[in-house]
Amino acid sequence: MLEVKSLSKTFRAPKQKKGEIIKQRNDPRESGKWFHAVQDLTFDCKAGEILGLLGMNGAGKTTTLRMLATAIKPSSGTAIMDGVDIVKNPMEVKRRIGFLSGSTGLYGRLTAEEMILYYGKLHGVEPQVLKTRMEEMFHLLDMESFVTRRNDNLSTGMKQKVSIVRTVIHDPPVLFFDEPTSGLDVLSAENIVKFIRQCKAKGKTVVLSTHYMNEVEKLCDRVTVIHHGRNFFSGKPEDLKAEQGETDLEEAFKKLVKGGQA
Amino acid sequence: MRGVTTVFLKEFKEVLRDRRTLIFMVALPIIVLPVLFNGVASFMQSQEKKASQEVLKFALIHGENFPQLGAMLDADESFERIPDITNEEDIIPAIKLGKIKFGLLVPESSAEYLDAGYSLDVKLIYNNAAFTQKVVSRTDALINKLNDKLRNTRFSEINISNPLQQGGFLEPVTLVRSGYATKREKLGEQIGGFLPYLFVVFCFLGAFYPAIDIGAGEKERGTLETLLLTPISRTALVLGKFGVVFVSGIVAAVVSISSMAGWIYFKGANLKDELGEIFSSFGFLDLGLILLMIVPLAALFASLMLSLSIFAKNFKEAQNFIAPLQFLLIFPAFLAFLPGIELNWKTAMIPITNISLVIKELAKGTVDYSMVSIIFASTVLLAGAATFFCVKWFQREEVLFRS
Repeated sequence: MLEVKSLSKTFRAPKQKKGEIIKQRNDPRESGKWFHAVQDLTFDCKAGEILGLLGMNGAGKTTTLRMLATAIKPSSGTAIMDGVDIVKNPMEVKRRIGFLSGSTGLYGRLTAEEMILYYGKLHGVEPQVLKTRMEEMFHLLDMESFVTRRNDNLSTGMKQKVSIVRTVIHDPPVLFFDEPTSGLDVLSAENIVKFIRQCKAKGKTVVLSTHYMNEVEKLCDRVTVIHHGRNFFSGKPEDLKAEQGETDLEEAFKKLVKGGQA
Repeated sequence: MRGVTTVFLKEFKEVLRDRRTLIFMVALPIIVLPVLFNGVASFMQSQEKKASQEVLKFALIHGENFPQLGAMLDADESFERIPDITNEEDIIPAIKLGKIKFGLLVPESSAEYLDAGYSLDVKLIYNNAAFTQKVVSRTDALINKLNDKLRNTRFSEINISNPLQQGGFLEPVTLVRSGYATKREKLGEQIGGFLPYLFVVFCFLGAFYPAIDIGAGEKERGTLETLLLTPISRTALVLGKFGVVFVSGIVAAVVSISSMAGWIYFKGANLKDELGEIFSSFGFLDLGLILLMIVPLAALFASLMLSLSIFAKNFKEAQNFIAPLQFLLIFPAFLAFLPGIELNWKTAMIPITNISLVIKELAKGTVDYSMVSIIFASTVLLAGAATFFCVKWFQREEVLFRS
């Protein structure tokens, strides 16, 4: 269960170097030396539901996810996650989330086992529980043959499985996926899609940020479209299509965003 | 604090599995010092030996004016006359070509001077920029022998036969030098500044790759963000990482110091000359104190390097940031290497340089312990401040998510 309440984040805008031609950024979020990356964002996601977070590059998706995951602090607003306020109690929030992004790497000089163990310990999972959980997951994902090998020597598919186990080793009720399949081939992406479905089946709260509309149609119960840091649409994918008068989700999304640009 | 040990152990395990780190942290310090010492010692010994045993070739110009000199040189087997050089102008080119080591120039009016009992100037032409000055000492010795002979003749001509009287005649007053500095102090002054420089360099090199790897490296691999989402405080995280960089620097310094100690113990003490005597006078207490002085320095290095590393976007940028820091940190250590720079209340104010100077004093065996404790304490404070900064620096979003 996740409730986001008028979340905002303002950064200091990057300085213009002397002599540099002033770039036409054409972004309404820039004002003077401040850049309002995310403004007054409100949406929610229930347990057992997958919420798609859609938006173009630089729309503010990653910033939003980072705030929700308490990696960065919101400038104003907050979110309640599993009953815990992300601003007031970030440590408790951290225990409740799993985060997987497409650019997440592994520690190459550690074995898969060592790395999972490390994250399990950092999350404060009881040693006995950790051990059983690792055995279970390694078995479930068919990883036993390579968990004692160093991550550097694993194939992309194997690495992904390690990342997946790392994400859920502390059994979090809320999961964030930040463009988890970007750059992956169809089969590798399928592993992730399957995993996201399992999370939903287990009643987890799932937020998925992605650019792939077919993924959205396959997975998401509802979507929130972020454009220029603001909420442009919240509702079911079908509603977005209906609202824009399109049969294709991608076309509907483009229409919505272009409308916002004008 | 929860997580510090977990982070430390994991990072240290990773560091130990990195070949680059191991080379700079262990292999290099083990090898370099003994090789360097052995090289210097054997080079010096062989040069000495060569210079004292080598047959010195020379040219004698206008030797016919002073036959006694020529005869004496010819009688000495350690000199060899090259007869085909007969002009003064040919001497220097011949020395440069390596045909001769020196040239002697006898004045044309020698015979008259000698007959009159005057002092005769024989010119010695040689390369005074050469590594050893054995040419001078050996020709000096030869001329002294000649002088003794001539003197005796002259004393007998004027009927002074008592050696004491002869001495008083030659030198009414003699200055007898009596320096009180021990050999160790003298050598300590010469090489004592070099040791801390080496230790500081190794300490820096040992910490270099770990610092980059667990800061910028973690950003580059995309593991930092995941790490920041674990429920341990950022202070715990940075302290664990700091610990690894700090320990790596210490390990490198300890390895280099122990490798030096080992060399002194097994090899240096067996050297027969002054060098061996000096090395064997080094106590383990001295080495321990040197190590103790390195500790706060390693902490200072670690926090600065880690701060830069975590600020960098990637491995390469971190290397570019830390390389200039190297100059900034190692240069003050190098200052102590310069002759004439001494530990006093003024130099004690310069961070890093003061540590180097203390180590130099320890090497000389002339250390002032009150000064040592003050410098140690001030460096600990400085390192503490740097570590505090590093911890605070690690809390900043624009540092952690700089892109």
